[in-house]
Amino acid sequence: MLRYIVGRLLSAIPILMLVAVFIFSLVHLTPGDPAVLLAGDNARPEQVEQIRARLHLDQSLPVQFGIWALDAIRLDLGESIYSKQPVSKLILQRVEPTLVLAAVTLLLTVAMSVPLGIVAAWRANGWVDRAIMAFAVLGFSVPVFVIGYLLVFFFAVELRWFPVQGYKPLASGALATLHSVVLPAVSLALVFSALIARVTRAAMLEVLNENYIRTARAKGLGTFRILVVHALKSSGIPVVTVIGIGFATLIGGVVVTESVFNIPGIGRLTVDAITRRDYPVVQGVILFFSVALILVNLIVDLSYPLFDPRVKG
Amino acid sequence: MGMTRLLRAAALAIALSAAASGAATSEEVLRLRMNGDINTLDPIATTNFTIRNAAYLIYDELFALDADYQVQPQMAEGYSVSDDKLVYTITLRDGLMFHDGTAVTAADAVASLERWGKVDGLGKILFSKMASIAATDDKALVITMSEPWGQVLPALAKISSNVPVIMPARLAANDPTDPVTEFIGSGPYQFVPDEWVPGSIAVFKKFEGYKPRPEPASLAAGGKVAHFDRIEAIYIPDTATAVNALVSGEIDWMEDVPADLLSYFDDQDVARPVVGEQAGGSMQLVINWLNPPFDNEKIRQALQAAVEQKPFLQAAFGDRTDSYLECAAVFFCNGPFASDVGTELVLKRDVEKAKALLKEGGYDGTPVLLPHVTDIATHNAYYSVLKQMLEEAGFVVDDEPTDWATVATRRASKAPVAEGGWNVFFTGWGYIDQINPMTNVYVAGACGDGWFGWTCSEDLQKLRVQFADETDPAKQKALADQMQKIALDLVTYVPLGQFFPSQGLATNLDGFIESPVPFFWNVQRKH
Repeated sequence: MLRYIVGRLLSAIPILMLVAVFIFSLVHLTPGDPAVLLAGDNARPEQVEQIRARLHLDQSLPVQFGIWALDAIRLDLGESIYSKQPVSKLILQRVEPTLVLAAVTLLLTVAMSVPLGIVAAWRANGWVDRAIMAFAVLGFSVPVFVIGYLLVFFFAVELRWFPVQGYKPLASGALATLHSVVLPAVSLALVFSALIARVTRAAMLEVLNENYIRTARAKGLGTFRILVVHALKSSGIPVVTVIGIGFATLIGGVVVTESVFNIPGIGRLTVDAITRRDYPVVQGVILFFSVALILVNLIVDLSYPLFDPRVKG
Repeated sequence: MGMTRLLRAAALAIALSAAASGAATSEEVLRLRMNGDINTLDPIATTNFTIRNAAYLIYDELFALDADYQVQPQMAEGYSVSDDKLVYTITLRDGLMFHDGTAVTAADAVASLERWGKVDGLGKILFSKMASIAATDDKALVITMSEPWGQVLPALAKISSNVPVIMPARLAANDPTDPVTEFIGSGPYQFVPDEWVPGSIAVFKKFEGYKPRPEPASLAAGGKVAHFDRIEAIYIPDTATAVNALVSGEIDWMEDVPADLLSYFDDQDVARPVVGEQAGGSMQLVINWLNPPFDNEKIRQALQAAVEQKPFLQAAFGDRTDSYLECAAVFFCNGPFASDVGTELVLKRDVEKAKALLKEGGYDGTPVLLPHVTDIATHNAYYSVLKQMLEEAGFVVDDEPTDWATVATRRASKAPVAEGGWNVFFTGWGYIDQINPMTNVYVAGACGDGWFGWTCSEDLQKLRVQFADETDPAKQKALADQMQKIALDLVTYVPLGQFFPSQGLATNLDGFIESPVPFFWNVQRKH
């Protein structure tokens, strides 16, 4: 097991290196002189020179990459052009809303989609199955911002059950936080659960035709026990994999959802940084999302042995 | 049915618990949605209006304009001017304190004004006419002019960007193009850096050390009483989301409600749209004096006679009659220099007179190029109306669809129309710029050195110099009237009406100051 974990951890390193090279080249592939861009329209030539020296743009590319990578390891990601604040501080300020939103979304998704997938497989080709799959197709096809605006209209503007926008930090109370993220989490979860319900159904269908399930039925076990204890565990790997892959979709969704619901998370920071051409922040958030994705995939990989003991080997 | 009930119960339970946990604090909070985000609070390094508006919360200035647009002392206790009008001695009020706990000194004021004088247009003129500026002790500063200039105090009381705010000398030592990163003023609210999330929220709390002036608040002058413990400037990029947040009671004020979202305020009493009488602007037809046919005064007068305001305003603003005003006063109908001298030339359309003037001016059918801007709804409507009016009066019109960015580039060209030049274009100016004869571009008469259109009049140039040196309000008004008469006689431009955007305001707020710049002192919540 330990060897498996170490192996997985080590394999993340080259991926991180590749990401680092990509992010580093982002500024160097951008047309124009980054120092001039950073200095702004009214800067004097000597100010531009100062910035060039401060950013080591007067050094060779490999030296620049080395300095940048070392800074990034120390979490020094530079300073925002827009607000003159350290990028790592800006990201740190935004982590909580995004993490809370992602966690609530994930919980809602699993709570909705896995049971739906199981029921659809159990009642395969019946009307229940078709209704669930119709919901899945719809959920996956409707853009997340459309769902978001509809939820705002009905549940915030008309019924006044939830706030229209904004995020209440955990410091103001967990319930206040939950209240502020219900609508964005539901709009994201609807999209996300559509995908996972389909995969759960497919994986369950395959397992339900296995001999050991037939044996379980013959032994007289109850439907619930067969479905949840025996079948679901064996369908675990594809489902968990899709949840992991879906995390990437979730990141895209978070960017849109945070804008619709005005949640000050990493998604909003990304959109704002791109529209303001705030390159240090763009670099920082890409690095953040890349590391987050690598970590999620690592967790997914590490969870495989829980579902299939053969993976340990 | 059962599901709906369950959902509602769950939502209400969360909402009530959330409200209960929030009710533990009894702070009075004012939540604002400004047009832009607050990325700095240095109103000298930028002219951005959002920054200017937010900066008014934390900074104070030596002088300020009152509701009659007269200069009043603000941080200054008083001032004296020498008989030769060269030496201004300004003393500071007692008890002025910066948010970092240090006392405000005259040296801080000198350093702040020097920084402002390097970037602001009016500030640069002031400093170019100044022999010296120095603090004589902690409370007094002396400005010595090299020539008398009537605009010294109005410049120090400037209400819009760049506002000459006072900050500690150690911060004012920063280059004016490089924004300070520590925001310390001596105003009624202080900035809370720990809660600042650029792109999301800026928080201000009441500054307990602030001593408001005893006079009642009047525009930017008078007592700035902070009635809220905390002010949150929340950045909501999407306007529809912001209006929804306002009518749901999540925010208290938004700077600008687009006309197409005014219906969101129907059937509720949480918030209301308020027409900002001084927040608006005006539309003008700018005329190029260098190119035919409008290099000819008679033909410009024919243009003036060929149009009237109402059809333009109706085309742009429809039935929202409280959003606009027919007004031909050069310095606005609700400004301190408002006047109806010569306005009948603009307000009354006379096609026959236009035709006669065209004939008299020897109009040879030279086409008038209309750069028909289609990407700004108001402009698009205005060009459509203008084309028809000009053709009815006998002008030949060349209507060319284009966009605002192209016009904004092309208007800088002094070349003939065929070589990339132009004849006319529509534009809009704001209240603050237009009401002041010193900043209104249509009474400059500065010829080739002037603003686009290059209107040329020695009389206007002389009157502007006289106005700058005049300190008697009655005489200033008389000079402004003369400037208006000349501008309308020579047709330096055609004024085409004033418009007033709406702000969104929570109905439980009271004491909001009518102003071209939004101020948040004096405002309180009705209980």
